[in-house]
Amino acid sequence: MKRMKKLVVLGLASLLALTLAACSDKDAEKSSGTSGDKEITLDFWTFGATGYEELAKEYEKENPNVKIKVKSSETADHHDALFTSLSAGSGAPDIAMLEIDQFDRFKVAQDRFENLYDLGANDVKDQYLDWKWKSGENVDGDFLFGLPTDIGPKALYYRIDLFEQAGLPTDPDEVASLISTPEAFEEAGIKVKEETGMPFVDSIEMAFRAYLDAAETAYLTPDNELNLGEDSEVKKAYDYAVHLNELGIVGKYEMWSPEWANAVNKGEFAAELGAGWLKGWMEGNAPEAVGKWRVATLPTDFAANWGGSYIAVPSETEYAQEAYDFIEWLVSPENQLKSFQSHGLFPSAQSVYDMDEFKTNEDEFFGGQATAPVFAEAAQDIAGIGYKGEKYFPIHNEILNALKNVQNNGSDPEEEWEAAIKRAEDLMKR
Amino acid sequence: MDSSSKKVSIFKRRKFRSEEKKDMISGYLYIAPFFIIFALIGLYPALFSIYLAFQKWNGFSPMTFNGLANFELVLTDPLFWKSVYNTIVMGIMGTAPQLIVGLILAYLLNMAFLKFKSYFRITIFMPYLTSMVAVALIFSVLFSNHESSLANYVLTNFFGLDPIAWAASEWGTKIAISLMVFWRWVGYNTIIYLAGIQSIPNDLYEAATIDGANRIQQLRYITIPMMKPFIILTVFTSTVGAMQLFSEPTVFLGADAFTRDEAMTIVMYLYRDAFRLQSFGTASATAIILLILITIFAVINLRLTQGFGKKRGRSK
Repeated sequence: MKRMKKLVVLGLASLLALTLAACSDKDAEKSSGTSGDKEITLDFWTFGATGYEELAKEYEKENPNVKIKVKSSETADHHDALFTSLSAGSGAPDIAMLEIDQFDRFKVAQDRFENLYDLGANDVKDQYLDWKWKSGENVDGDFLFGLPTDIGPKALYYRIDLFEQAGLPTDPDEVASLISTPEAFEEAGIKVKEETGMPFVDSIEMAFRAYLDAAETAYLTPDNELNLGEDSEVKKAYDYAVHLNELGIVGKYEMWSPEWANAVNKGEFAAELGAGWLKGWMEGNAPEAVGKWRVATLPTDFAANWGGSYIAVPSETEYAQEAYDFIEWLVSPENQLKSFQSHGLFPSAQSVYDMDEFKTNEDEFFGGQATAPVFAEAAQDIAGIGYKGEKYFPIHNEILNALKNVQNNGSDPEEEWEAAIKRAEDLMKR
Repeated sequence: MDSSSKKVSIFKRRKFRSEEKKDMISGYLYIAPFFIIFALIGLYPALFSIYLAFQKWNGFSPMTFNGLANFELVLTDPLFWKSVYNTIVMGIMGTAPQLIVGLILAYLLNMAFLKFKSYFRITIFMPYLTSMVAVALIFSVLFSNHESSLANYVLTNFFGLDPIAWAASEWGTKIAISLMVFWRWVGYNTIIYLAGIQSIPNDLYEAATIDGANRIQQLRYITIPMMKPFIILTVFTSTVGAMQLFSEPTVFLGADAFTRDEAMTIVMYLYRDAFRLQSFGTASATAIILLILITIFAVINLRLTQGFGKKRGRSK
């Protein structure tokens, strides 16, 4: 018994020592913040290749009292780490990048972020595409989570060799005016299949995403109710994918798989509904396809955004205003142009689209086509981004599994749809 | 005044400094770091997850009491039962052969006539030291869905079979992952068995040889019964390990790990609930169900192995 007591006392003492040490650390940090011109350090978490490290150095030069520590990690790790630290209430950075598809799972935690409208974001609002700005807000529109970085306007990537063989035009403008409706898209697909034997679209996921990404209301309504009725937009996208699959123009490649990469290289499918960032991947990973791909505007029904990010300020920070000043500078039109030129981050500030360096940027990979204006046009065609909700991806995966079963096992599309809805309903109960 | 205070202090010091006390304090100090860290990152989360199992929580919003609803959700989910089935099937395919082969390998490694003993011992133990991620990545290349992956090449060219989608078919994934688990852990069990074999006194074998027992008989009637404690240990740890299978399938399947059900294990199901669906309540409920399952399986396995040892003993 006595031993037990000793042990407890010892344990408590050590715990106390630990917490005291932690406290004193924080106090030191705080005091340095209050004394005006003293140097401050901002932690900035990013993911993927953004090139923000170099821009941060530039900012440090202009503002000698600010140090920015950029930490870049892999997309999923970044968001998981951020989620954990925000949930725990400690350990979050001063500034964090958020991917648009992951964004909604953070929006439920409005109290863990600074409202950027309180820090001066209203003044820069007009610089950015309206739809992009809006999805950085909460549902009511009075709270701004993040400033827009890049976007992912979708366009039609197509192989000129296969198009030529199929007797289709190869000039981007002609292709865009020929394939201007979903029906024309389908007809072009049939022609390619008949003449070349190759599938038109690479995967059933892309066929599904054609309508899905453009949907105003996808899986969930803003009240977090499932929206999967017979006349829902998701069902329309599902039916369209099933229809294209029945026509035999959908390939069985899985995006990012080695087989898919090989097919991009060798031209084993004719078209990809890809976002602007796919271009960068192709340039680096499809050396045999130089000059074989072009980019054209998609039918308006398919105009949509896929990917892109925001930069937010978690409210744990001691230096909200300083953090905001930095990100406002970082995503300014001039710096968005720099990020575009160095890392292919497609700008969300529309004034960039009129800059000469942007417009005349010819792409060797695309046979000298200036692709940027095509994406810029696509960006302005986008009506808006639908509400996604916390459970967007799990539900998306269920529907996608249904489509894959239809394609690979030839199962009945209606039965698969019903089963997927049941699984989605189950997910929502959690 | 002066003298009395001195007396007290001497008395106190003597009491405090007695050897026994000093030993005790330094002993506690030595083990304290472990207990403090264990309490913080082991015990506290474990207890907290029991509490969480009865709450609905998405990580941010306040928790709400949910009664037994989390357990009901998990137990009525067909995917949960699929994950239990997957775990058991892969557990049997991955660990049972491991224990048998481990025993045989240990026996061979202990043979007197074997040359380069330490070389073989090290090579057999190597997979255990290799980084899990590296192992899974290499296996995912060997066993890819593609027709030209090494596994499919061997199947089609040497056996004339059809290629298998190793990462996307019901049995392909299970076989590939079980093989990976087997390859990685067989060396660990072999080393434990080897230590066990070496601890058996030699005179038993000498006596058996004089009595005319051959090598197989010696293995059956001396080695295996004497190895009982070691077999129980490995069966126990392997059972627990098999029930907690997570990193191998997760890295092997990559992006598909939490969207396909062919190789989803119980722990993957749990992880998916917590970190893909933001449902920490059902994830914690799954953890408790897993705890119960592990206990049941460990007890069954212990009974089986103990019974097995006893029977051998009696028949002798």
